Amino acid sequence: MKTAFLKTMPRLGSLLAGVSAAAFLMVGGTGTALAAANCVKGDRKAPFTIGWANIYSVPTWMKQTEGTITAEVEELKKTGQVKDLMITDAQGNAQTQIQHIQSMIDANVDAIVVIAGSSNALDRVIADACDKGIAIVNFDSLVNTDKVTAKINTDSSQWGATAAKWMVDQLGGKGKIIIMNGPAGISVSDDRRKGAQPVLDANPGLQVITETNTDYNVAPAQEAMTSLLFANPEIDGVLSLGGALSAGSVMAFDRQGREQVPTTGENARQFLELWKEKGLKGWATMQPNWLGAFSVYTAVQALEGKDVKPKITVPLPVIDDSNVDSYLARADKFPADGYIYSDYDKALFDKLLAQ
Amino acid sequence: MTTRSISSSGLYRAIQSRRNRGLGGLYIVVVAFLLLYVWLFPGIVSIGGFSKFTQNWFPLALVTMAQALLMLNGGITLSVGPLVSLGAVIAATSMGGFAGTWGGIAAVAAIGLGIGAITGIIVAHLRLPAIIVTLAGSFIITGIALLILPRPGGFIPGWFSDLLAGNTPVAFCLLLVAIAGWKLFMATPAGLGMYAAGENPVGAFRSGVSVERVKVAAFAISGLLAALAGLFVAAQTGSGDPLIGNPFTLNSIAAAVLGGVGFLGGKGTMRGAICGSLLLSVMINVMFFLGFPPVAQYVAQGLIIVGAVAIPELTAQRRKK
Repeated sequence: MKTAFLKTMPRLGSLLAGVSAAAFLMVGGTGTALAAANCVKGDRKAPFTIGWANIYSVPTWMKQTEGTITAEVEELKKTGQVKDLMITDAQGNAQTQIQHIQSMIDANVDAIVVIAGSSNALDRVIADACDKGIAIVNFDSLVNTDKVTAKINTDSSQWGATAAKWMVDQLGGKGKIIIMNGPAGISVSDDRRKGAQPVLDANPGLQVITETNTDYNVAPAQEAMTSLLFANPEIDGVLSLGGALSAGSVMAFDRQGREQVPTTGENARQFLELWKEKGLKGWATMQPNWLGAFSVYTAVQALEGKDVKPKITVPLPVIDDSNVDSYLARADKFPADGYIYSDYDKALFDKLLAQ
Repeated sequence: MTTRSISSSGLYRAIQSRRNRGLGGLYIVVVAFLLLYVWLFPGIVSIGGFSKFTQNWFPLALVTMAQALLMLNGGITLSVGPLVSLGAVIAATSMGGFAGTWGGIAAVAAIGLGIGAITGIIVAHLRLPAIIVTLAGSFIITGIALLILPRPGGFIPGWFSDLLAGNTPVAFCLLLVAIAGWKLFMATPAGLGMYAAGENPVGAFRSGVSVERVKVAAFAISGLLAALAGLFVAAQTGSGDPLIGNPFTLNSIAAAVLGGVGFLGGKGTMRGAICGSLLLSVMINVMFFLGFPPVAQYVAQGLIIVGAVAIPELTAQRRKK
């Protein structure tokens, strides 16, 4: 009943627009106040077509994330809420991603789920899509513009801060550490690093020997750490700000016959297994792959007239010695170079939307 | 007088049609894809649809010109992509500040020309291979772009974005201007000299072409085009991104080669290169509307590129037999 009323509101608004400008302003004003979620005008009916504009599909994290998206779409097809899923892969090229999103607008999809290849580059095309009443749910790598239905992410800055705090506790506030970052110029890697800085400033006893910038892959991280091991006989900790980076670091220590040091990281299966195998002091968190599934769910909820907050922060879990076994117990369900993400269901999504 | 002009225009046509030979396959493929696109998405023939499509193609067309004119001169550049990034970064950082929009445009143009000219001087006068110099240049330029703008940001005036990348085909008109400029340049001794120096540097030198100067000019113009592509990308996205241009390097080479421009200089045409870039661009949209899954898109892209290059070669061989 309520939804039906909401859906007629914008049409009513445009009808009155011709009568008088003042009346339009008033009705338009209340219309926006009543409209459930950003971008959604209420004129789109289920079953919906969803566009999934991926920036790069090759990394395992992306493949797993796409897996949760297609699984969620299958679920929503059963209930008749989703008709079709269109998938694009910009192969790392933000310019191509703009072109893909433009094509999705041209194809008049009902919702676009997107991981941005650049925090700014997609702003204009996404704003265009929003103006057309397409629900935009942006997760993981976020855009700048606020003309989206929802932005979903964990807090990258908190990621870095919590990791740095754990390292301070481990080393008693004193020691030499190496910081491993993702690629330069990428907001996620930048934000995690920035989050760690205040903690490092507050603990001058922790000396940063050097930092690395590599892709979020094991091989380049291992290579970078190997050469750093030759140059630095004394390393007390590795503050790695990405899962695959930590696995590379642990492997480099192992190959060189060096004793393992406290290492931070993510829920990468390789890292968690090495952590257990080498008995090192570890700490990890998680960028859940199911953010993809959650984004699709959120888009459909918004299209159906539910209220959706423009910014949804998904809490970061902590993985330490107390619960790492529970993650490793499910390891065989995930690819060898993949990420062991926590379970998810509709109840969790509803809880996150309600928070 | 009249007879001479007729015969020279006849000669012109004959030469132009000979230069088009070998591009027939590409033209057919491009037209087929455009028709398919119109069939899949009729909205493309509206002004808005046409504008948006050409806007996405425009920067690739510009960098392809930047690449092709160097390849025609017997060179190559691996710093096209980073120059696009640098152009975008400079536009996004200068337009909001003291320079204003026009100052920003001038800064981008000046830096593109300057970096191009310096690269050209190193290549021409120190006689170093272009591929090495521009590879080194690409690292330096990427570094500078990251120093100026460590992460995406900056500011482009809204009206400027709407002008270049709004719902009007301004970008397409600018491309026509660039093509007209190329035609005019080809009518000058310097333009012909660029071709000649690419095909046969010694011969060109003996015919009075200043080979070094032409090479520096080619690099400078190429740098200008790449930086202007960056300016457009900044307007299109409304901001600067220090890494956005990187994929353009490989794509510009792919488009030029697809368009029949050879690696050894002097062989190929600008129209072919621009058609090559159009094919790369329209292919992305067509495959989206056909609903190909991404993996199939990789395969299809590869097959189309090989096909467009192979068909003219095969027909030429058959003709010889």
